[in-house]
Amino acid sequence: MVKFTEDSQRLELGYGFWRTATAKGAYKFYMDDPVVGQVVYFGTMREAGNPVSLVLRLRIEQKKIAEIETIVIRTGMNPSRPADTGAESFEKMGGPDPLFLETIPPAERVSRDELARTANKYFSSMQLNDGKCDYSFFADDCSRIENGQQATEGRNTMASGSGQNNSYTAQKGCRAQFETGLLHFVTRIRDRRFVVLDTEHGVALAFGFFDHAAGNTRTFQTPDGRTVAAGPTQPWTREIAEALKVEKGKIRRIIAIFQRCPYGMNSGWSSWEDSLSDKARW
Amino acid sequence: MRGGPVLVFLSGLLLLISGAVSISVMQAADESCERACLNRIVDQYLSALVAHDPSRLPLAKNVRFTEDGVQLQLGDALWATAGGLGTYKLVFAEPEANAIGAYAVVQENGSGALLALRLKVDKRKITEVETLVARKPTTGILNTDNLTEPRPAFLENVPTEERPSREEMVSIVNKYFDGIEQGNGDIVPFDPDCIRIENGIQTCPGSASSPLGALSCGAQLSTKIFTYIQSVNPRRFPVVDRERGLVLAIVRFNHPATQQTVAVPGRGRITMGRYSTWPNSTQIAELFKIKNRKIKEITAAIVTGAYKVPMGWD
Repeated sequence: MVKFTEDSQRLELGYGFWRTATAKGAYKFYMDDPVVGQVVYFGTMREAGNPVSLVLRLRIEQKKIAEIETIVIRTGMNPSRPADTGAESFEKMGGPDPLFLETIPPAERVSRDELARTANKYFSSMQLNDGKCDYSFFADDCSRIENGQQATEGRNTMASGSGQNNSYTAQKGCRAQFETGLLHFVTRIRDRRFVVLDTEHGVALAFGFFDHAAGNTRTFQTPDGRTVAAGPTQPWTREIAEALKVEKGKIRRIIAIFQRCPYGMNSGWSSWEDSLSDKARW
Repeated sequence: MRGGPVLVFLSGLLLLISGAVSISVMQAADESCERACLNRIVDQYLSALVAHDPSRLPLAKNVRFTEDGVQLQLGDALWATAGGLGTYKLVFAEPEANAIGAYAVVQENGSGALLALRLKVDKRKITEVETLVARKPTTGILNTDNLTEPRPAFLENVPTEERPSREEMVSIVNKYFDGIEQGNGDIVPFDPDCIRIENGIQTCPGSASSPLGALSCGAQLSTKIFTYIQSVNPRRFPVVDRERGLVLAIVRFNHPATQQTVAVPGRGRITMGRYSTWPNSTQIAELFKIKNRKIKEITAAIVTGAYKVPMGWD
């Protein structure tokens, strides 16, 4: 029987968003991996007329759908912009950054393992970020979109981009953000499942969970020697799907879709042990 | 004299047997945990929680812990963030089932959170820890400032001869959930003055200024304003404190959001609350005071989550 989850909860097919979806939206981004028979779709839709962002993963077996995994971003589920589901912002963009759609010249293509390893450096360097690692895996022109908002390089309007010394700012680039050491509050990035490794386009897509344990993990030292208290004050987790464009061993573009979920939640696709592990799987 | 050695042997055997019996009785006494013992364990739990140190607890080797339905390592989540306790603490127990329930207000980085706690104990060691933590971002309503001490009804004992059986108490509470599902307050044995407090806020009788006015708990149900709650499932009743007339129900309200408005007799078509706008579920730890076989008071801790979120124990 086909297995279906919505926001990590296993449901009968036909329930949840199946009963409330009213229309397809204008933003569509497909990522596929024929080697493992999986396709992931970032898109927008309407639910009772309200815009929502959708992440959809399908696994295909013998031309039939075997697995359906969905995340539906609704109003109130995005902590930094509670009124925004990201859908309208995605639709204003018209589609994914064209770079995601460009093929990698055959001579420059890397193995699936190498693609996943490079993309995974992003997660490993963010977890308990201290600003002291080698962040050269970011390309100089790297930029990141989160729930339809530009989250790097100052072209953004995110609430977290206040520019204060104690909170990481979207006014900086991908690498510079990590060099501040201010993302320390992401205490664990767990259950990293790379479900698409498209070597032809250099695109890696992972599902995962960003834990914010809060408590004493909020207090840390920055690379310039300051003691800082920053980040969420309550334990909660970000359920996330993140697409990374990798070229010549460097990350050039990132698109993330995420929402708040209970601290420590399981994806519905992993054992308890795997769900709490920060090891990447593909 | 001839029987001497036999008598000595028999009396020795009797001594051994009686010794074994008394040791066994002592062990049983040591291992049982009556109400006072169970209450002490709650106090230990809350003290260890704010000290961020679960090793202070008498834990069974295979203890299992959940917060908001998610299985975690003991020491994680609220264990890392609880900064202090409020004055509100309501503890109840079912010694026959080695089960304890409690509500407490916990300070978390300057914000009040309402903790609902269920413990199961075996041989004086904690084997199960189930918690729901109502925090501002994960609940529609919360006011811990209103929760300074338990309402007296939850602390009053029921005279021994007036105590219903466990089954009857559960049956009374089940009718409440049936009444929600069916939009029918008439099938629920409410005391006419029943009061319900959810996350520190009184939700029935309603306030005179609310859209439906000051309706009683039963009359509210009969308006069908809770039609968005399609089902109350699963339902568990892990603590039934017959001495105090209390039933703890841990349940999940499922809101498929297939209907946003409802026709209320005499009031026209009314828009139901925000929970009717997207598929979601609420996990609820709800405590009922039963008096004279009627529901006298209700207090609940509520956490909103994904539609049909697993509660970790079903």
